[in-house]
Amino acid sequence: MIELIQQIIDGLGRGGIYALLALGIAVIFGVMHLINFAHGELITVSAYTSYWLFASGFNWWFIAPAIIVVAVLTAVIIEFVAFRWVRGAPDFTMLMTSFGVHFLVQALFVMYVSANFRQFPRPGWIFDTWRIGDLSLEVFDLAVIAATLVTLLGTYWLLQRTMFGVSLRAAAEDFDTARLMGIRSNRVIRGAFILSGVLAGVAAIFWLMRSGQAGPTAGLNPMLKGVLAALIGGLGSLSGAVLGGITLGLVEVLLISRLPGGTAGLTDGIVFLLIALLFVFRPQGLITVRRVERV
Amino acid sequence: MQTDPLRRAIAPTLGSAFLFLLLLGGSLLYTANGDASSNSLVTQMLINAVVVLGLQIYIGNTGVLSFGHIGFGAIAGYTFAICAISPERKLRQIPNAPFGLAEIDLTPLQSGMVALTLTIIVAFVIGLALSRSGARSGAVAAVVITLALLFVVHEVARNWIDLTRGGKTGLSFSPLGNATLQGKVPIYLILVGAIALARLFKETRAGRLAQAAREDDLAARVMGIDPAVQQMIALLLSVAVVSAGSALRVFELGSINPRLFFFDYTLLTLTMLIVGGRNSVAGTLVGVLIITAGSELTRNLSGMDVPGMNWLLRDGLTDIFLGGAMLGFMILRPAGLLGDWEVDHWLYRRLRRAESPPAPSPVTTARSTSVLQAAKVTVHFGGYQALDNASLEATAGEVVGLIGPNGAGKTTLLNVITGLVRSDSGRIELDGTVLTGLSPHGIARSGLARTFQNFRLFSALSVRENIGVVHLMATRFRQSRSLPPVDTLVTQAGLWEHRDRRAAELDYGSARRLELARAAAAGPDFLLLDEPTSGMSDHESINMIDQVRSMAELIGAGVVVIDHDLNFITGICDRVYVLDQGRVIAVGTPAEISVNPAVQAAYLGTTD
Repeated sequence: MIELIQQIIDGLGRGGIYALLALGIAVIFGVMHLINFAHGELITVSAYTSYWLFASGFNWWFIAPAIIVVAVLTAVIIEFVAFRWVRGAPDFTMLMTSFGVHFLVQALFVMYVSANFRQFPRPGWIFDTWRIGDLSLEVFDLAVIAATLVTLLGTYWLLQRTMFGVSLRAAAEDFDTARLMGIRSNRVIRGAFILSGVLAGVAAIFWLMRSGQAGPTAGLNPMLKGVLAALIGGLGSLSGAVLGGITLGLVEVLLISRLPGGTAGLTDGIVFLLIALLFVFRPQGLITVRRVERV
Repeated sequence: MQTDPLRRAIAPTLGSAFLFLLLLGGSLLYTANGDASSNSLVTQMLINAVVVLGLQIYIGNTGVLSFGHIGFGAIAGYTFAICAISPERKLRQIPNAPFGLAEIDLTPLQSGMVALTLTIIVAFVIGLALSRSGARSGAVAAVVITLALLFVVHEVARNWIDLTRGGKTGLSFSPLGNATLQGKVPIYLILVGAIALARLFKETRAGRLAQAAREDDLAARVMGIDPAVQQMIALLLSVAVVSAGSALRVFELGSINPRLFFFDYTLLTLTMLIVGGRNSVAGTLVGVLIITAGSELTRNLSGMDVPGMNWLLRDGLTDIFLGGAMLGFMILRPAGLLGDWEVDHWLYRRLRRAESPPAPSPVTTARSTSVLQAAKVTVHFGGYQALDNASLEATAGEVVGLIGPNGAGKTTLLNVITGLVRSDSGRIELDGTVLTGLSPHGIARSGLARTFQNFRLFSALSVRENIGVVHLMATRFRQSRSLPPVDTLVTQAGLWEHRDRRAAELDYGSARRLELARAAAAGPDFLLLDEPTSGMSDHESINMIDQVRSMAELIGAGVVVIDHDLNFITGICDRVYVLDQGRVIAVGTPAEISVNPAVQAAYLGTTD
């Protein structure tokens, strides 16, 4: 029982980060119908930022907010350089474009930094645990859960209570009509990228605190997790993305603890397989968004 | 042009041979000086060409984006290596291989066959999964399923140490007994086979139907095309070619490790595919050539020392080139350099005899006596009642109109009849056969063909091919009907001069007429037309009356037509149904309808 509770907390810690990543992907899918395979590049850029700032003598208190700023800037630049030009293009073109951005950013880091991973110090407290009776809780997991909650509440407030949030949700619902209603598409899309940058930035802080390294492919794993979580949640749905992230985190933790020794390396593969099966039997995702093609 | 062997077989074969000879000649010339590095560059390029042609067969024809083909390549590569490595070597590298694989000793050809068989079996299973997930152009589900394949194969290759020796070292077998790829004859043989297969597949029934579904999945389905079988055929052929190429790749390199068939190779091959044009075999080869040359050039440049250029000429330039090419083409020229152009298109234009439009054929089709009935159809969208006990009956030989204010449920009724929307209750019958619950393609094959409010043509296909693919379907499933030849339909629609133009290039009126002719090509008992005159001038819509009438007469079908243009409706209809808020409020001749007070109230509003 105690073990299960610990695993659930652990799963929520992982799932929280995935939820933030997935939400960023879902927000962009909502306004552009684009699956952003370049979302992980925000993490890559954040990772190098952390590395350089550490090398210049800054600490996590400065680096954490800097990561968010950098992630937002990167998201806006990527939108401006690439995604702006394929708006409304066929799905095939948009998918390949986002993969192109993913590979190009990776290549830029290989070219101008190095193909090798670089380490930077992780904060000392991430391995601390709190003991409550027999329960030992990782402080880090609790921090992630708290930060995720705060970020999600902030996002919820933004989407429900501000003019920007209303336009974003309207655009996600029906982009053409939203435009006719006077919502400015450029602004909404840029806003969506900024929001996804903030969400990725918060996720990046915790992801990097745990990994403590920067490399050209640092964003691959978080990108895949975010995309998978968003897919579980049905892509267009924002609450679905959050649930998808949490589900993914819990499933991973349970798989790791239950897989026989030696096969733990297959966790990612098995998760991928499960999601593929999900798509075979429920192509619309776990949380259904009704998307009827009008004819 | 029922069958045109020159267009469908002879010219493509000649074109393929020409492409192959061009590649062969170029390769021989480039390697003439016997330089080892240019030799290996050419070998790699030719092998990559095979793999990319394999991708083209699936991605090009179906439009389904697969990231998993390189996963099939990994399966083929490992199978080939494990079968072909001599037992003595295996004893050193993988002594604990399961299933007694350590002892088997096969020739490269046998190993290749084993690899091919195994990957085809896996591809069949993946193909079933893809079709279950509703794979179509740009479908997300297909991307996930194929990515999953790539990842799972990669992880298994890294973790199943007994079989694959894991990710660090991989398997190596150079040299492979006495067999070598000396003289590249096996590569040339497989390459010429791959080119011909890819090119000719585009002209087969399966290829053409898959392309129609690529252009517009929904339109293909309501024309009776269910692309699942064709997509499966494309997948199996494509995987076979990819497997052959991957086995060659492993053979040539003399080693295999999990990284060899993962993201990097996926990026390389996909970039090659899209740069030249994924819908074209010639384009695919052009892409392979450009990317190979570009990669080689950037690789050489990155080592050079040019003052002032050091910021650019450094390691990683090749990756920048690849990523940049992928991104640049997607933004600037998503169809690639050649689009869907093939060498033999040019050849065909030179070789064909002058064509003249078919003589107008006298109407020979006996009018069918079919009856279409929609009885008490009710549909809710959430809390909104779109149709409320709406009934409609039409007999062949008459033109039935369906009018009503916006939101009255006209299109919804048509969607229910053609199977695109499920009704909550009510039934659809055609000559006593219940259609309710059938799939859209099943309904089309039973004898209903429709057009769309915002027309949905197969835009990258030619005018003739738009009609041709549907005709192809009809010759199989509508044999009971006498179907007019494709060219007769083209002429009938007044599109003879535009017959070889892409549907996307047509003006509005022509596009409408093409959609009508395409629906007629399905050989239906009833043509269901959704606003055939919307966006037309008065003059054009008067012409449309003749157009619809003569088309219906040509194929002996009844017509159900939705329109807002009252001149058109009164000019063409024998009977008119008036819908308002989901209910049929009046039925009668156009004259009766125009004086019906309920209709006037619905249209103009009423004070009482």
